[in-house]
Amino acid sequence: MSTLQTRHESRTSPPSGPLARKRRTRGKVTARTSWSVGLLALPAVVFFLVFNYLPMAGLVVAFKEFDVNLGIFGSPWNGLANFVYFLESGDAARILFNTLFLNVLFLGATLAAGILLAIMLNEIRGTFFKRASQSVVFFPYFVSPVVISIILQVLLAGASGGGGAVNDAMTGFGLPTVDWYNEPGPWPWILTVVKVWQLGGYLSVIFLAAITGIPEEVYEAGMIDGASRAQMAWRITLPLLKPTAAVLLVLGVGRIFYGDFGTIYAIIGDNGTLFENTDVIDTFVFRALRQLGDFGTTAAVGLFQSVVGFILVVIAVLIQRKYSKETSIL
Amino acid sequence: MSGRKLEPFTVFSIIGVGLAVLCCAVPFWMIISGSFTSESALATTGYSLFPVDFDLTAYKMIFTGPAVLDAYLASVFITVVGTALSLAVTSSLSWVIARRVPGVSRPLTVFSYLPMLFSGGLVPLYLLVTQYLHLQNSYFSVILPLLVMPFLVFVQVSAFRQLPESIFESAKIDGAGELRMFFTIALPLSKPILAVVGLFYAVHYWNDWFMALLFIDDVHKFPLPLVLQNLISNISFTQMLPQLAETATPVYQLRLALTTVAIGPILLAYPFAQRYFVKGITLGATKG
Repeated sequence: MSTLQTRHESRTSPPSGPLARKRRTRGKVTARTSWSVGLLALPAVVFFLVFNYLPMAGLVVAFKEFDVNLGIFGSPWNGLANFVYFLESGDAARILFNTLFLNVLFLGATLAAGILLAIMLNEIRGTFFKRASQSVVFFPYFVSPVVISIILQVLLAGASGGGGAVNDAMTGFGLPTVDWYNEPGPWPWILTVVKVWQLGGYLSVIFLAAITGIPEEVYEAGMIDGASRAQMAWRITLPLLKPTAAVLLVLGVGRIFYGDFGTIYAIIGDNGTLFENTDVIDTFVFRALRQLGDFGTTAAVGLFQSVVGFILVVIAVLIQRKYSKETSIL
Repeated sequence: MSGRKLEPFTVFSIIGVGLAVLCCAVPFWMIISGSFTSESALATTGYSLFPVDFDLTAYKMIFTGPAVLDAYLASVFITVVGTALSLAVTSSLSWVIARRVPGVSRPLTVFSYLPMLFSGGLVPLYLLVTQYLHLQNSYFSVILPLLVMPFLVFVQVSAFRQLPESIFESAKIDGAGELRMFFTIALPLSKPILAVVGLFYAVHYWNDWFMALLFIDDVHKFPLPLVLQNLISNISFTQMLPQLAETATPVYQLRLALTTVAIGPILLAYPFAQRYFVKGITLGATKG
């Protein structure tokens, strides 16, 4: 990998001239400084080059008829054939729709849940109860998608496939039981509930930190004017959470083309009956790669995903920047 | 704000938070309780809120054979080595960014955060690891692709920038170089934040199964989450467990027991680590 070697050498070479742009500089920069600074940054730079930038170059596979023996750069070109194949396969429309639809659902629901939870937690004054409940709702964030999948089976399927806690509860209310794992209809909503369960507590921690940053005087003024707690939450806290929500929204929109492979694949796996409503770009790519070994088509889908995703992030950042300068993330 | 009477909204909030707590806690309780319930009792209900028919068959199977122990050790290796490497690489990169070295820090920031926005995707990564680096079935195929998380670089950079600048100025006057300042001043002063970042990485490595799913296909090398996943989709792994003569394999109870074993360390460490996580997110979210 000689190309790689020369590339990172040029990156870590000492910066030219210590006097270049002396804005907010900490201390004087000597040749010795830049040498040791380069040494410290070296491992990370190599990591990013090998595992992030090199794969970007590897995306040329999308335009090739990949042959394992010839390698990425030795395989013959085949133009847009991989893209055409994907678009004509009949899966494209469904997968794109699922990816966008599910992610919009996830993003909206988790943000709303996070804000609601943070506002409710903020109402609670008893420190112990507040801390303990915050810990508990934060916990699902730290659990592997595989564990979530098992929890869902306990709730929806039980040991035999037709049971589970939810069906038992539904029977208790006189409702008919549902064979969840053979019924694609409700799955977008089930997955949304899972995402809310997984991320609601995590997001509430972020929003609660933002609420803590709101000056107390604002609330005092509200109290003098005779506002109730509910009115203060609705008219003071909620509007002041907008910048934080905007940043998270932008980050979320940037990821909107990435279908959260981990959670969806852990739960759905290769259960074909549910693909209709749950198959997203990531799961499609993974299956095509592992089961068909079709590198060209999957890379084409991946490239499409990266490019559209990138355009979406840039648009989102620009919009967010226009509306709230001080909270801009880039 | 004392002497306030209990308003309807506060009552509503307490009830709402209480419900959220129940929703988050009960599923775990069902798993743990179910893992101690006999397979025959589980077969009729599928879950249990209390171990009615107390039974340890699944745990006996797990702890008498080497299969699960191996998976546990694999997970421990990935977590410990991965976290150590990640911490080293992340903190040194963050230090360089935090120092605001002209001509270096700014490009380095862009260089580190760009992969968050644009990625090569699954196929090139897969080809890189399997065809070029030949890391298949090595634990480093799980560790290396996850080595640096840009969000945690955010956290670490903002923590370094909060250290008082005067310390470094006086160190410089005493003749200390960047490396010396980093190792003898910045790192020791940043122990709490290193704990935060390290814990995030540790959870990440402990839970990872996607990289393992992609790159590890030797059943004997599966880390714990992959064993669990394997147990969901098929029962090939159960053949590796010691068979207890008196009963049939309690597949369902086994899943619950293995889940309990997998979340056990997180559950035990969580009460102590929780405040660090909150601190980390708060720092990353508000200062990033």
